[in-house]
Amino acid sequence: MRQLTSHLGPLIMLAAGLAFAIGAAATLDLGSLRRMGPGAFPLLVGSLLAILALIGLVQNLRHPMEMNRADPMAVLGVTGGVAAFAFFTPLAGVLPATTLAVLATGSVIPGFRWPHRIALALGVAAAVWAIFVLGLNIPFTAVRGL
Amino acid sequence: MDLLSNLALGLATAATIQNLAYCFAGVFLGTFIGVLPGVGPLAAVAMLLPVSFYLPPETALVMLAGVYYGAEYGGSVASILLNIPGTPSASVTCIDGYPMAQQGRAGVALFSTAMASMFGALFGVAVMVLLSPKLADFALLFQPAEYFSVMVLGLVAASIVSSSGAVRGLMMVCLGVLLGTVGIDVNSGETRFTGGLPQLRDGISLVVVAMGLFGISEVMVSLRGATQSYAGKGLMGSMFPTAAEWGRSLMPAIRGSLVGSFFGTLPGTGQTVASFVGYAVEKRVNRRRDQFGKGTIEGVVVPESANNAAAQTAFIPTLTLGIPGSTTMALMLGALMIHGITPGPRLISEHPELFWGLVVSFVFGNVFLLILNIPLIGIWVRLLRVPHSYLYPTVIVLICVGVYSISNSIADVWAALAFGAIGYALRLFRFEPAPMLIGFVLGPMMEEYFRRAMLLSRGDPGVFVTRPGSAALLAVAALLLLATVLPWKQWVTRGVSAAPSRGQG
Repeated sequence: MRQLTSHLGPLIMLAAGLAFAIGAAATLDLGSLRRMGPGAFPLLVGSLLAILALIGLVQNLRHPMEMNRADPMAVLGVTGGVAAFAFFTPLAGVLPATTLAVLATGSVIPGFRWPHRIALALGVAAAVWAIFVLGLNIPFTAVRGL
Repeated sequence: MDLLSNLALGLATAATIQNLAYCFAGVFLGTFIGVLPGVGPLAAVAMLLPVSFYLPPETALVMLAGVYYGAEYGGSVASILLNIPGTPSASVTCIDGYPMAQQGRAGVALFSTAMASMFGALFGVAVMVLLSPKLADFALLFQPAEYFSVMVLGLVAASIVSSSGAVRGLMMVCLGVLLGTVGIDVNSGETRFTGGLPQLRDGISLVVVAMGLFGISEVMVSLRGATQSYAGKGLMGSMFPTAAEWGRSLMPAIRGSLVGSFFGTLPGTGQTVASFVGYAVEKRVNRRRDQFGKGTIEGVVVPESANNAAAQTAFIPTLTLGIPGSTTMALMLGALMIHGITPGPRLISEHPELFWGLVVSFVFGNVFLLILNIPLIGIWVRLLRVPHSYLYPTVIVLICVGVYSISNSIADVWAALAFGAIGYALRLFRFEPAPMLIGFVLGPMMEEYFRRAMLLSRGDPGVFVTRPGSAALLAVAALLLLATVLPWKQWVTRGVSAAPSRGQG
């Protein structure tokens, strides 16, 4: 099983290379050697990527490169934080979104106590306001409705 | 104009109160951000790029350059005190810097880092002053075929440094080049690979890719190990090296600067190679080579002087050819273009105040860095004692706000998250994202020159090997690739260890 997953990397690259090459050949004008169309360069580079991926696959068959271990909770925490920022900024403004983003990311860190998480969230919001709104005058909606 | 009057012009530009103030602010903020583990100069420049849009071009560049070498220095602080390199190039500093900190000599390591950085940087500036105008004259002879080949060389050089092997590095470069084709094709006006999304018509933003691939995915990797703080690790001790150490550091600093200046000028290789090669060379020639890795001062001085010399000379190809010497330089290039200045062989003659002002500001900036850091070393050390559970959520928000502030676009924040996920997946499968970013920056230029060269040669692809300049550049690239494929490394090591290990195969 570990052996199989270690081949996944080059296989994904192979798929990406083929996707760009075939996409270019199918949907874009290739032009001539003298006047190349928009599809020619992506076709070339996509094919090169596919060839390199095949070489990588052969290398991997001979000396499998083990995958690094994933940490789903960390991915979830960071994704949740960025998503909270992106979702709440249009609804409520940058500062509330900042607070929620810090809470979301902080909540997956083990042993980080809630009072500390809340204090950090408020502190970062205050710092963002001081630096970006007050200091740099970047035209943000700090808090919607204010 | 001769050199002196050029430098006088530079002094007049750089020594205004405004530019000095921004230079200082850049160095300070850069160091502050660079000290944070996992946040390197690339992310620091990316974070402050939006700010520079509100400044005149010289001031913007002076500030960003300050951020750049400030962050570079800050990264070394984290390497020495925590053994967490902020940048790949700082990882060499860990080898001897961290043992020094463990021996209670962190103060000496940090002080010699500051001195070596300044030495290397001033050396690099001198090389830049002497070389840039000549290279610019030479580059006027370049035709599209040569430009294309320089970029191929740069990309090959960038990919063979990848720790996961040349083939995987080249794959990353290709992927980056392909991502660079997304958006409107400048020649035909056709949209490519946008999947019908109007946000992708102008292509993917460099800042978004950089912040996602490096900032967000880095936090994903480090977040959950964030409980411990590093309080008490690495005692400061006295800051000043002994007289003997001063003496032993001079020659390594000069050798490091030489190596660094050379590698900095090559497009695409930059500081990481410079500090690795500098360290490797020093380990061969230094009489105290058996002390390397155990916390000797030369082991800190060499990578730092090499790295900072390269940081300065990397501006040479960036400003005279318009080809970024490193990923961070690519962002600088972006900043210039936003101000309507296209770097290239004519930059020095058309915007002398910009070029020479920048050169002189480098000198000021590095002096500021030294003045700032000797008293502030204590503060950076205290900053590092803040538990990481406080730092990483803050970094995530800084990234979000930074990306959002570029054009007040939430779509950019989502895109950065997507690139963060891609970067994390790549790391899981043991691919290194750095060559991808260089491919992404050079890709569109490369396509442009490739198509132009083919047009000029009337469709004959032989033009890349029949023009001597282009042929020479491609030959160097091919040699570099060959060097990684041939089993010479094993051959050398087997030769060295042949006698005792015979019989085991």
